[in-house]
Amino acid sequence: MRAWLLLLGGMLVWTIHFFVLYGLGSLFGTTPTARIGTLLVTLACLAANLAILVTCMRIARTADRESVLGWPARLGAPVAVLSIVSVAWQAFPALFT
Amino acid sequence: MWPRISTPSGIVEGLAGWPPPVLDPAGPYAGSVAALSWALIALAAGIFLIVLAALWIALRGRERLRARLGGERAIWIGGVVFPVVVLTALLIWGLTLTRNLSEPAGGPELRMRVSGEMWWWRVSYLDGNGRAFMQDANELHIPVGRTIAIELVSPDVIHSFWVPQLSGKLDMVPGRRNLIRIQADRPGTYAGICAEYCGGPHALMGFLVVAHAPDDYARWLAARRAPRAAPPDRQSARGAALFVSAGCAACHRIAGTPANGQAGPDLTHVGSRRTLGAGILPNNRGTMIGWIGNSQAIKPGNRMPPYTVLPGEDLQALAAYLEAQR
Amino acid sequence: MNASRTSGAVPPAASVSETGFDPTLFDRFPTSGERPEGELGELEHVWRAPRGWGLLTVVNNNYVGIFYVGAAFLFFLLAGILALVMRVQLALPLNGVLPQETYNQFFTMHGTVMMFLFAVPAVEALGVLLLPQMLAARDLPFPRLSAYAFWAYLVGGLAFFASIFVGLAPNGGWFMYPPLTSTAYSPGINADFWLLGIGFIEISAIAGAIEIIVGVLKTRAPGMSLDKMPIFAWAMLVFAGMIIIAFPAVIFGTLALELERALNWPFFDPTRGGDPLLWQHLFWFFGHPEVYIIFLPAAGLVSMMVAALSRTPLVGYRLVVLALVATAFISFGVWAHHMFAVGMPRLSVGFFSAASMAVSVPAGIQVFAWIATLSVGRPRYQTPTLFLVGGLVTFVLGGLTGVMVAMVPFDWQVHDSYFIVAHLHYVLIGGMVFPMFAGFYYWTPMMSRRPLSERLGKWVFWLMFAGMQVTFLPMHLTGFMGMPRRVYTYLPGRDWEITNMISTVGAFMLAAGILIFLVDLIRNFRFAAEGNAGNVYGGGTLEWLPTGLYSTRSIPLVTSREPLWDRPGLSREVEEGRYFLPGSATGNRETIITSPLRAEPQYLQIMPGPSVWPLLSAIFTAGFFLLLTVQAYLVGVVSGLVAIWCMIRWLWETDRPVRPPTADIGAGIEVPTYVTGPSTHGWWAMVVLQIVIGMIFLMAAFSYLYLYGVHTSFWTAPPAPSWLALLLPLYGAGMGLAWLARVLLARRRSTLWSPATALLFGAASLLTGFVLDCLSWRWSGLDPEASGQGATVYGLLAIQGFVTGVAVLIALYVAARNSRGLVTRPRNNSFDLAVLFLIYTGAQGVLGAALVRLFPGAV
Repeated sequence: MRAWLLLLGGMLVWTIHFFVLYGLGSLFGTTPTARIGTLLVTLACLAANLAILVTCMRIARTADRESVLGWPARLGAPVAVLSIVSVAWQAFPALFT
Repeated sequence: MWPRISTPSGIVEGLAGWPPPVLDPAGPYAGSVAALSWALIALAAGIFLIVLAALWIALRGRERLRARLGGERAIWIGGVVFPVVVLTALLIWGLTLTRNLSEPAGGPELRMRVSGEMWWWRVSYLDGNGRAFMQDANELHIPVGRTIAIELVSPDVIHSFWVPQLSGKLDMVPGRRNLIRIQADRPGTYAGICAEYCGGPHALMGFLVVAHAPDDYARWLAARRAPRAAPPDRQSARGAALFVSAGCAACHRIAGTPANGQAGPDLTHVGSRRTLGAGILPNNRGTMIGWIGNSQAIKPGNRMPPYTVLPGEDLQALAAYLEAQR
Repeated sequence: MNASRTSGAVPPAASVSETGFDPTLFDRFPTSGERPEGELGELEHVWRAPRGWGLLTVVNNNYVGIFYVGAAFLFFLLAGILALVMRVQLALPLNGVLPQETYNQFFTMHGTVMMFLFAVPAVEALGVLLLPQMLAARDLPFPRLSAYAFWAYLVGGLAFFASIFVGLAPNGGWFMYPPLTSTAYSPGINADFWLLGIGFIEISAIAGAIEIIVGVLKTRAPGMSLDKMPIFAWAMLVFAGMIIIAFPAVIFGTLALELERALNWPFFDPTRGGDPLLWQHLFWFFGHPEVYIIFLPAAGLVSMMVAALSRTPLVGYRLVVLALVATAFISFGVWAHHMFAVGMPRLSVGFFSAASMAVSVPAGIQVFAWIATLSVGRPRYQTPTLFLVGGLVTFVLGGLTGVMVAMVPFDWQVHDSYFIVAHLHYVLIGGMVFPMFAGFYYWTPMMSRRPLSERLGKWVFWLMFAGMQVTFLPMHLTGFMGMPRRVYTYLPGRDWEITNMISTVGAFMLAAGILIFLVDLIRNFRFAAEGNAGNVYGGGTLEWLPTGLYSTRSIPLVTSREPLWDRPGLSREVEEGRYFLPGSATGNRETIITSPLRAEPQYLQIMPGPSVWPLLSAIFTAGFFLLLTVQAYLVGVVSGLVAIWCMIRWLWETDRPVRPPTADIGAGIEVPTYVTGPSTHGWWAMVVLQIVIGMIFLMAAFSYLYLYGVHTSFWTAPPAPSWLALLLPLYGAGMGLAWLARVLLARRRSTLWSPATALLFGAASLLTGFVLDCLSWRWSGLDPEASGQGATVYGLLAIQGFVTGVAVLIALYVAARNSRGLVTRPRNNSFDLAVLFLIYTGAQGVLGAALVRLFPGAV
């Protein structure tokens, strides 16, 4: 389970972020409430991604590649990086439209 | 089964494909998108060439260049960093443009309502209170330089309103009311077409937007509002009677006459329309006769029944009458 | 659980082992010494395929896989012919080759058949064909399910396609937007053909997906940890995962639209509180991931072939896996970019625009990984290489126009114009069709006595590549010139004639290439499970080991991604039986079940052999759906009942423990032959199935909330929340009794209640809950035809009713097994799965009952 969480963590954060924002947009439309909510959720998700990234890099540095967590952590790190970019983009509409 | 139709220059002006209407805007709402389109085309072509060059190096290049390309670093640069930079810029441009396009351009707007119906367009001109003061079909007349806010609705299935030279498209969804803004900055005739598959003769569901210089528009409006003249000759007078007795009036309305059908296009000004059959035929005596006599052969599946039983002189009379409805 | 019991095994360090298996045991391979006489003969005997008409009952993946690929290719040809006729019609303005109605049926069928009957089944078929070989498994874990999925698809697909010959083919577009497809505007049974035919083929796709997920995670060769998996296995894992999330949306959508058509439940009727856009949300929540569902496996093939043909490992393996995984997730956030023009709030369109940008990054990563791999190696210019490079160029162009249409203002212009037709064909032909043809050339030697011709292959490629560009490049311009999609003709004088004529010429070039490919196929393809042409292109992965119908003689220990390159003697050692399972350990068909992360051996799965029941089940399932379509309700229901009976017969023979309880899988490593609990393949499959049903339920719940948001005024008060005080205990009791039954089974002597009785009472409790749930709504005065609320509430109940019905059936089935002494103690797989299903049913009942009563009632 831990291995899967490391591996997919970044994308799970993206998923949560996406659907929370979708919910905010559906409930509040193009209002300040939606914009502020979007910003807060985005910051939280970026922080979560950073935590995953740091954890993955720490494990990847110490653990053997052939260990149970070693390779999942090596994969999880770039997944988290991509998730950071995508989460940030997801918040752009609240800032620019 | 198809009669060969040579399209007279009157329609061609509005419908010609070259230069491509998407890249040949006639107003601000299409103009900013055309600029974006050119930028995107240039960008896509540039990136495509870069990828081709990389591929060429990979397959045929010198050892030294290939070594540079053959590692994870190249993937990070080409597959992550470069796209992220480009896409971030594009995203911001796209989002700000989206915002600008959905806002009024400034100045008082004219309001209209267009209802997409299987397979034609019901056009209403709205006053300041949103009430329809004039009905028409398949043709929109607008003044140059004014923003027109058009309510888009549909009573049957989903259609889509698209005049490429004036704006992007917006769907007409049953149960909803969408608002699109168009504006023409130069007089002319602009073609529109239904862009959402709506069954049957979806392919033959066109319309025209005619943009007049402000003075011309005022004259046009005044002419529309002028009292209606009686049928000019005996033939068209017979046509007027036929219009009611043959059943046309059950579906079509001609203002100021007993004909008040609502199912089909309003024919009050049909004589002045540039096209027949929703943007597909030039409007003249011959096409009018052909359309009334057997529109099913021209636009199969449309809702107007064929009147093959009517003798030639009746068709002539009806056409003459309708031609006079200007 | 610790499944490996060996004498003197030291407890291994937790960090290097996933299951407690001692990895030092791997050092015993390759074994030495002579293998016993007759071992190979027995293996061949156990895995032999039936002959003659009996071949219809075959379940070996080699046969089912090749049938499957063949059927998918047949549908590719059929849909391609439709496209050619359409191109002839569009070559000239106001052309009269195809009448309007026929053209509308043709373009609907072209899209539908290409997407549902060609693309998804084709990649699924390649999975069935290639995965066991690549993973060195003896077969996929549920061979009979593969056979069922294939036959259901073939019979259903052919019957569906035949509708075009009698003018009854659907004509509402492959996207089937209501209200055009509701009874008011499509009174004929054409639309029903689509809804029932496709709904049914989706079931086949889901069956295949479950098979592939469990196959990739549980049947890999020992030692093949996640990072040593062939990239195609990763792609198929992601593919199957996406199917189980995406397909439920369209399954619920088709169910809802069919309910609206047949029973007048207004899901999509705005005059009664439904909404046409709900369909679009449901359809595209499936429809856009669908594009990646098609593309990712093909990308997996490309990654495999690029590496093999460049004779170097894939550069950036880890990044390519990242790309596959990221695409899988992000592609579920882009569905509404097909709906930019429906008039969504601008925050929403921007939101989906951003996700559409994000999903293009992983595609770029893969493209550059392929280019990097090509530049490390020295690729040979053989036909597969040409198709790969041609596909890459084409796909990149399609990807770039994809980024363009992700820009909302640009999309408002080109949406539903020929620009989109060009874009999607660039992506799908470059991303899927060309890689598939590369794959045909590359993998044919694996299953044919002769490889395909290089000389003809070059002709095939250049004709197809040039034809593709000539057809679709001008369409970008046609779109800019204002030509909308899905038009059966166009007026002269708009300059559309020129580009359309060029496109038509190109289409015939493309077709000529495919025709030559058929010639090549007829001349050179000779199916051979044994004695094939072998590793012509020098691939390094396990599918190139010498094989028979039993797959490889022994299952190798995997220590790298390209074992054949890294251990040149591997083929010989495998052939000499020096690795796992060199013979049949129990005299049955069997494969090694390994752990999902590190592929440590866990137990020996006993696999079923050929059977006529999957074939009959498929035929009668197809009969059920097709007979309903033509409104032969009574015969249809009978056919459905026969199908259920066939399935029960098929299952009845399974789940029988064998002797001995443990078996030597090589080098003295003993694993159990009957295992129960969460590590088993059956348990995994059940969990995946529950995710599928859960997603269908979630889609229904989404529809309920969505329609509430759109048309609140149609909502009426739900039955009093106090009903929950009755319903929740009933559903809870059902779940509790199921759990109790499992506890009772583990007790040696259970006197008062037998486990089967507890299970039956549990099912009865669930059934009672469901019936009362329905009655409470009936008595509240809400009719399903009344409003969107009625439709969605009864839609949720319909799903609950279906699941409850299955739960009752399962409980009866397990009780029957119990009465025949087939339920082993203390644990039994059939019993466990029944318990899982009942618990799921109860949980879904609780959620459904609470949702529709508390929201918005209590808020």
